[in-house]
Amino acid sequence: MLASIIASGLALGAVYALIGITYNVMFAASRVMSFTAGQLGMLGGVFGALFVGRLGVPGPVGLVLTLAACAAVGVLTEIIAVRPVLASLEKHLYVLSTLAAALLIQQLTAIEWSTEPQPFPRLLGLGSGILDEKFWLPVLACAAVIGGLEWMYRRTLVGRAFIAIAEDNFAARALGLPERRLRMASFALAGAVAGLAGFSSGQLLLAFFANGAMLNFYGFVPVALGGLGNNRGAVLGGLALGLFQQAANFTVGGVFASVLVFTVFIVVLLAAPQGLFGAPAVRRV
Amino acid sequence: MTTRRNLVLGAAAAPLLGRLAVAQSAAVPAGEPLRIGWLAALTGASSAPAVGFNRGVVFAADELNAAGGVQGRKVEIITRDTQGDPTKAVNATQELISRAKVHAIWGPTNSGEALATTPIMARAKMPCVHPCVVDSLIDPVKFPNAFRMAPSNGQWDDAVRAYLLNTLEVRDVAVFGDTTGYGTSAVAASVAAFAKDSANVVNQSLIDATQPDVTPDMLRAKTAGARAIVVWSVSVGMLSRLMNVRNALGWDVPIVGHPSLGSGEIRGLLEKPGNWEKVFMVGYRSCSFGEDGKLPERSQAFVAKLAGKVALHDTSLWWVACGYDAVKLIAAAVESSGASTSEAIIGAWNHTTAYPGIFGDYSYSPENHNGYPQADVVMSRANSQRDGTFALAPGFA
Repeated sequence: MLASIIASGLALGAVYALIGITYNVMFAASRVMSFTAGQLGMLGGVFGALFVGRLGVPGPVGLVLTLAACAAVGVLTEIIAVRPVLASLEKHLYVLSTLAAALLIQQLTAIEWSTEPQPFPRLLGLGSGILDEKFWLPVLACAAVIGGLEWMYRRTLVGRAFIAIAEDNFAARALGLPERRLRMASFALAGAVAGLAGFSSGQLLLAFFANGAMLNFYGFVPVALGGLGNNRGAVLGGLALGLFQQAANFTVGGVFASVLVFTVFIVVLLAAPQGLFGAPAVRRV
Repeated sequence: MTTRRNLVLGAAAAPLLGRLAVAQSAAVPAGEPLRIGWLAALTGASSAPAVGFNRGVVFAADELNAAGGVQGRKVEIITRDTQGDPTKAVNATQELISRAKVHAIWGPTNSGEALATTPIMARAKMPCVHPCVVDSLIDPVKFPNAFRMAPSNGQWDDAVRAYLLNTLEVRDVAVFGDTTGYGTSAVAASVAAFAKDSANVVNQSLIDATQPDVTPDMLRAKTAGARAIVVWSVSVGMLSRLMNVRNALGWDVPIVGHPSLGSGEIRGLLEKPGNWEKVFMVGYRSCSFGEDGKLPERSQAFVAKLAGKVALHDTSLWWVACGYDAVKLIAAAVESSGASTSEAIIGAWNHTTAYPGIFGDYSYSPENHNGYPQADVVMSRANSQRDGTFALAPGFA
């Protein structure tokens, strides 16, 4: 039982962490919490099942196409739901616009894809039982993403430009950084990260339009636990959430497990409002 | 005045309806069609049943019209797509009653919509037949206009319980449902009914339809000593996960329950086709074949009549048959009463004994508006679908 809790807990935790990173990447470039993150994750599973399962595209090509498609939807989100409300961030209109975009994505998927879960093809055919690829692929994807993002932010010019935009939008623009293009690029990156989450967990979550709302919800928890904008915190928060949720599922069952998870979540936030791994915001005056 | 007198007579004198036919038909404007409203969730989530029902509805109307209509009146089906949305269903109901001025309504075909539309139809005294399973939808006192032509959830539950206790001789069961209103209420009712029959519900669980891993729930049921799993859910994702996990755990117990266990969507979600073995779903005798591969005689003749005209390979025969029967049942009430007033149609239905439909023999009385016979609710092998029909489960002949 313990092995099963760890296997599925880590897998789900990795997916939640990736969605949390998606929230963070979009937030860093725009100061907007885009509630399309979970829907982009859902699309990763749907596009993967479409390309690899239905159209018979080889797995690696299917992955590239899925990431590209999700990146495109990410950019579209920026154009449709984020850019128009950036001028009045203090009114929090982005909550409405990104939720509307999320609903649009969900309904379109339900109409064009299916209202029932669809199978996701086996990708590598490796492992069985608790070592099945459906459990370790999301963990591998999460490790690859966090490693890749760390490398990009620390070692590349583009990564440093992203950080500059996130740190001080106005100063970055004054220095001549193309803020709009960088913001679009970060939404594309966020789309690709969420797409990878959906693709790597497709065998576990299936290609199901209703996964979007679930991922939106549980993917937000690591962000709150780990501290907004803190990717490493999101990973730790996500994995902790996945393990705790599965342990609660085993001990008290599905519905009560959700209650337990959110009780603990609220208690943690009451104790540490900035998140377990976040620091209180400090501004030089 | 004549019309009012006829309305009163139609309501009060059901046994004399046949004799009044000539007098009452005089009140019907010449050439006025018999308008049947059809509340169909033809698009949106869960549209598959309505698509199947619709094939039967259209076929029945065409057949009646080809034979000269009902007492010379053309049958007109006025369809409104509710998209499975109760709000749209309510609006469509009001429009059908007040603007389209239908004589009777068939549908809606899912309980969520019917819970919203039933009181509205009752206020308008609109004759209505529907196949929705929620028990509270039928109440001859509160809703004297509403008649059910499919089993209620209680009847499904009785069939599953009888199969487990009497045929499979299993008394220790785990009862699962999804977290929807339907799943929650069905699990509660099922657990209470098992307890009444002195069976042991060793574990009960409500599972979110999007829960990716149901191993915890299955392990808890196994640890508690369950010897069968009873499932009440329409979520094929959840149902297929239960079957996959049962196999992964090497746990050889039957899974028994909701008709969705036989949904064709499940096939693609199974890790192995063998995971669908030993899964039994609620079925209907009229739409089930025995070991000889043959349907009951009446169903066989119906399928032959549909051949080349109505596709069955991508739907369930019971949906098509029930839609067909609905139109025929409304037509029969108008035919026997000689009128299409609410009182005449409801009065005729209230005195229906074993009306020979394709889906089943329907019987109604003023006290009982649940018309589907319990004996025709059977269990079927979930993995045996063939042109919308299923094989009878072991123990049924």
